Amino acid sequence: MTYQLDLLDIQGNVLRAYGRFRYPAARYVFFNIRDGAKGRAFVAALTRRVTTAVQWGEGPDKLPPPEWTLNVAFNYQGLKELDLPRESLIGFSPEFVAGMKDRKDILGDDGPSAPEHWDPIWQHNRETREHDVHIFVSINGLMPLPKDAKPAAVQAAVNDAKARVEAGYRWLLEQVAAQQGGVALLGGHRGDNGELLDYQDVQAVLENGVPTSKEHFGYTDGIGDPVFEGVPYDAERINGRGKQLANGQWAPLAAGEFLLGHTDEALEYPPAPSPLLLARNGTYMIYRKLHENVGTFERYLDEHGQRYPGGKELLAAKFVGRWRDNGAPIVKAWDDASKARFDADYKAADGHGKDQLLSNFTYDEDMSGGRCPFSAHIRRINPRASLEFTRDEQDPAKVCGAFSVSEGAFDTPGALANRRRVLRRGLPYGTVKDRSRDDGNHGIIIMMLNADINRQFEFVQQQWINYGNDFKAGNDKEILLGNHSQSEHFPSKAVLQVDPASDDAPYILPRLPRFVETRGGEYFFVPSLTALRMIAAGTVDPT
Amino acid sequence: MGNLSGNAYALTVLSPIKPGIIADEQIAYADKVRSILQGWNGLPNSPMTAVPQTYLCRYFVLDNVYTESQPGGSAPDTLNDWLPVVPDWLRRAAMPAHDQLKSRYLVFSANVYVGPSGDIAPYLRGMWQAIRKEVESIWQYCYGFDEVKDADGFAAYIQRCALPASLFFVGSNDEPLPEQLKALYIKQQFARFAVDNQGLPTATLRQNFQAFMKQIAPHELATPTWEPGKYRLP
Repeated sequence: MTYQLDLLDIQGNVLRAYGRFRYPAARYVFFNIRDGAKGRAFVAALTRRVTTAVQWGEGPDKLPPPEWTLNVAFNYQGLKELDLPRESLIGFSPEFVAGMKDRKDILGDDGPSAPEHWDPIWQHNRETREHDVHIFVSINGLMPLPKDAKPAAVQAAVNDAKARVEAGYRWLLEQVAAQQGGVALLGGHRGDNGELLDYQDVQAVLENGVPTSKEHFGYTDGIGDPVFEGVPYDAERINGRGKQLANGQWAPLAAGEFLLGHTDEALEYPPAPSPLLLARNGTYMIYRKLHENVGTFERYLDEHGQRYPGGKELLAAKFVGRWRDNGAPIVKAWDDASKARFDADYKAADGHGKDQLLSNFTYDEDMSGGRCPFSAHIRRINPRASLEFTRDEQDPAKVCGAFSVSEGAFDTPGALANRRRVLRRGLPYGTVKDRSRDDGNHGIIIMMLNADINRQFEFVQQQWINYGNDFKAGNDKEILLGNHSQSEHFPSKAVLQVDPASDDAPYILPRLPRFVETRGGEYFFVPSLTALRMIAAGTVDPT
Repeated sequence: MGNLSGNAYALTVLSPIKPGIIADEQIAYADKVRSILQGWNGLPNSPMTAVPQTYLCRYFVLDNVYTESQPGGSAPDTLNDWLPVVPDWLRRAAMPAHDQLKSRYLVFSANVYVGPSGDIAPYLRGMWQAIRKEVESIWQYCYGFDEVKDADGFAAYIQRCALPASLFFVGSNDEPLPEQLKALYIKQQFARFAVDNQGLPTATLRQNFQAFMKQIAPHELATPTWEPGKYRLP
């Protein structure tokens, strides 16, 4: 029998990126618990409305998609204020207990990304009891099917989705009011004009009024989200998103990489708090507000787009490993001819075919990085099998900079990558009004989910984004997200490799500026529905 | 010999620390040694950077190694396994059930360049000449060190405390340290050159490269180069 998950016990945002399911707008709200008992009553009220991972549609064991979703998570302080027993609290991971701010050295949140530059809500978090973030609530609004494909109709549908978010928010405020001061909403999210808002709004970037899955630099986001066992609506999406087997086929990753209480890729249960029912079907969530320096990005891309032999758009594709127009992976579309071929195939393909064109690839034909650079975003955050590579010293035909797949050293092609995967959720925030400026209100809220923050998210952030040694790239950082420095003495650079057998010179991206800056964030625990009920009832019993 | 790999030497030294105490500081000798070593962390750079030909090194104080097991495994034991003249239970009963070190040790371990001679003594004499004060400040609490009066004495003393090495991991390319530092310097400077000069017309590039070669003086080992102990160029 195939692996089955208890969909009604798992929160919907864990298994679904709502944006992909026609929810283009959302609001994130944070609370401080002033009274434990009232806090639990608040959690009880929310739990009755929480969106689960149940299948949507008609038929047995299915439910219609809600007009607005609701999901809940807690940070360590929050669980403490909800009076979880000490025996349970000590079972959470050390980095979760410490919180994101405390982990700034691991995460590279320095300079303009340092906590003193974060939004006030995150600056004040974990400083004083009254300003501590405790509870995270997210509300996503469903977009009704537009009457037709005209921009006006689509815009109206997007506005409906936003109105539904508002409706959910009003409901949420009623629940807060019902606790008579036991729970306080925490404001302090920077808005468009520097004003402080009570919530963090996000929404898909619109192009001509139509929602896209692009972020503010123009790249399509979230294509390569991992697929794991037991998620029924991802059954067609395994190739390129699961794990690669020795025979080249793909299989879903183990559920325990993303859900506590399930076995992981090492056939072990991930470390989790007791009792089992508190942890099972729950997971850790990393919430991060990332500001995008659009002006700096445009200027740097323009400047080097003029010099780079392949031109500006190819250079933009090199930054990320995907083309900005349709998301084509650069390993499949590395020059004009191959891009034209890809575009023709893409145009002709149906929905599933398009998805496979975008996601189903490896770096096997590109071990030397001549197509997708070693420091490109998608190669760094999900190297697939490309880390198992070696310089073939024995082969005299090999030229400098040529690498090949390392044979026989690992059990499976994904051995070095399968335990470093993270689920990515979230949407862009703000709008870009002036593409020549950095200081507008624009970026993305990214929420990453994994069973082990340290092994998965923090490792990728520290070793693969802000350092390059695993990619034989020295200390070159990931081009887009790296915490680059333009200091005179130690400026960041990244090398765009070329086919080592060709006469082309590698292109060096000199003095990389920081394109993305951290503006806040925290580590949360996303409990199962069972655990939410237990937390609300005060019946978590680790004995 | 296990200590040598090419021109590199793996030195592992265990010097027993005397059990005494410094009364007015209320500190044991071994703890004093550790305290001095930890103090080195606060210096701008390690005193060992002044010692020529040091690839890498480490100091620490070994407090104890406690083993609770059934030791054995020597040749007679193996014979005995095949031909049990003495019953196993009797053999085990005759052995200590647990064991520990007789004293605390100052451990100094280093990878150094010794050259084709394979002799570690010149390196140790160089160490004495370069950082005699620091050497004395930590080794003064060790057994037998009061006999050490000069560089030769120090070399002889350290060699008496040295262990034979096996499984020597070579983290260097076998060249003398100044050669390696110069190579690192050139590598880093060349990366800068590549960044600063990419895309220039050939003639300018050639001109700049000639100037660059002049500036880095590849055959001059002494200067300009990378200073020992630095992990980045200034």
